[in-house]
Amino acid sequence: MTSTRTELKVSAFLAYKFIAKGNRGTSALTILIMALAFVNLMFTTSVFDGMGDATETQVIDTLYSNIVIEPADGELYIENPDSVVKKIINVPGVIGTSAQYVTGATIAYEEQSGAWSIRAVDPADERTVSTVPDMMIEGEYLSRSDTREIIIGKEIAGGHGGSLEHTSLGGVVVGDTVEVTFANGVKREYRVKGIFDTNFIQSNQLAYVTEKEMESVLGIHDMASQILVKTDTKGEEDRFLNQFVELGVHEDIKPWIVYAGIIATLTQSFDALNALTGAIGFFVAGVTIFIVIYVSTVSKRRQIGILRAIGIKESIIVRSYIFQAVFYAVCGCIAGLVIMFAILVPYFIKHPMVFPMGDVTLLIEQKAAITRSAGLIISAAIAGFLPSWRAVRETILDAIWGD
Amino acid sequence: MVERMGRDGQDTIIATRNLSRTYIMGKMQVTALNRVTLDIRRGEFAAIMGKSGSGKSTLLHQLGLLDTPTEGEIVIDGVEISGLSEAARTRFRLEKFGYVFQEYAILPEMTALENVYLPAMALGLSQGECIRNGMDALEKVGLTGRADHRPREMSGGEQQRVAIARALINNPKILFADEPTANLDSVSSRQILELFRALNRDTGQTILMVTHELEDADIVDRVIWLADGEVVVREG
Ligand SMILES: Nc1ncnc2c1ncn2[C@@H]1O[C@H](COP(=O)(O)OP(=O)(O)O)[C@@H](O)[C@H]1O
Ligand SMILES: [Mg+2]
Repeated sequence: MTSTRTELKVSAFLAYKFIAKGNRGTSALTILIMALAFVNLMFTTSVFDGMGDATETQVIDTLYSNIVIEPADGELYIENPDSVVKKIINVPGVIGTSAQYVTGATIAYEEQSGAWSIRAVDPADERTVSTVPDMMIEGEYLSRSDTREIIIGKEIAGGHGGSLEHTSLGGVVVGDTVEVTFANGVKREYRVKGIFDTNFIQSNQLAYVTEKEMESVLGIHDMASQILVKTDTKGEEDRFLNQFVELGVHEDIKPWIVYAGIIATLTQSFDALNALTGAIGFFVAGVTIFIVIYVSTVSKRRQIGILRAIGIKESIIVRSYIFQAVFYAVCGCIAGLVIMFAILVPYFIKHPMVFPMGDVTLLIEQKAAITRSAGLIISAAIAGFLPSWRAVRETILDAIWGD
Repeated sequence: MVERMGRDGQDTIIATRNLSRTYIMGKMQVTALNRVTLDIRRGEFAAIMGKSGSGKSTLLHQLGLLDTPTEGEIVIDGVEISGLSEAARTRFRLEKFGYVFQEYAILPEMTALENVYLPAMALGLSQGECIRNGMDALEKVGLTGRADHRPREMSGGEQQRVAIARALINNPKILFADEPTANLDSVSSRQILELFRALNRDTGQTILMVTHELEDADIVDRVIWLADGEVVVREG
């Protein structure tokens, strides 16, 4: 009896001949439509993945670094942070730490005032975990011995094209004096030493003073509200967490991801949109293939009848059409990826979309590309099956001589 | 069963008994074939003749397993056909039959050689065997020089000879042809008929051909006359 391999060979041969020697224009147009359907499927996902990626990078680079060590439950501060840092600094992959105080404060300038978070850092340490020191748009970053000097984000300063102008100080510039009232009631005047812009709305609402200054405000010494830890890889935070615990760190250790709630919120709001464009994309691709294969089976109706008459099995004929459909889909996916990588990605690198998490470019995730391609190929296979299956349902005589 | 139906000798390749085919068209019944009983001997070159609408094609379709009779029995090469599944009938056609239709019915996307060897490929032959057998078949119809030509580069007569080569590729037990020369000019028609005659004479190929050309009667071994779906002794 005919082996499956023989049948596949004949199906592939027929499909190959129909595509290679058939109408080139039809093939090209079909592949183009499949490519556009694929791009349509990928685009929103890539924008969204790009937003997620930009947000992650911002959260890590400008807010929390990779790992945050917080005081153990019930404690307000980490005592003797140096001893904690000593335990972990030699772990391979740890490339920086920054112990810092964090406190709430009201900052006032002329008639304007608002509540923001102030971090107190050792500038040298901070440079090992954060990119904020490199993001100064005016003035300079802090030096270790600075007192009565403050660095503020552009959303606090105002007047620098931020998104939260109405809650800002309304246009502070370097050299201005702001009045800061700390959570413990201490009130001091600070000279604005620098203004930074990270492109990220959340880190642009932070202010920084030196560790030395904050210890004099709080009247404490050798403590920290949190220790930020920079690692050389992203995504292996849990491994470091476990290592830190083994090394005797009793404080509360968290990966950056727990602070990135904004990403989860984004995911939810885009899921529905994604599902909708996805459904439309698969439908367009499926209908296109259906029409192409349908037209082909109608115009080849008599030939299909003859093939069946001379003893070619129906399953071979149906499969040859499925192969054609899958071929168009695979070519469409490849052409779509080429369009994405050769045209759209470079375009958005040149002209990034501006979002509150910063400049966003398209991010083509392998997983998204694979699931979308698989979906497209499956819908094409179904769309190729239906008309060809219908075509071999009719009797051979109707196919050859029917009207 | 075979012995019972093979009335005039042991070498019967096709035997029918009371074969009928009725079409239902709305409330009307059209009896295209009416209780046909006949034998075809192995190695015979037989023509089915009769007026248009007399049931020639219908008979050929029943014998070629392209249609299912309403009533009656067919035994081909010792096999009772009514017992075969659809898949077995398809296999039977691939292995044992060759067909030539009025339309040239070859695929425009393929070369002459590819058209010819497709049924061999479906039988599981290797690429090398397909090409070798395909060239042999093309040689039988005198078209080796056209092996790599596509149908649109060939005349109607040449395309029909490609179809004949395709019909011969799997060494069929029976070659069926339904008015194979109807679309051809007289020179090409003559060529095709002579080709059939030679195939039958040189290789003993059994051929069953529907024709309405009266002069074709001279070239065949035997004529089966049909009138109103019945076998008759002689058309007047
Ligand atoms: N599919 C069909 N439905 C209804 N009637 C048919 C069909 N096919 C053939 N017939 C009728 O059966 C008769 C025999 O047809 P056919 O075998 O094609 O004749 P021939 O080949 O001798 O010209 C004719 O009356 C024809 O109209
Ligand atoms: Mg006819």
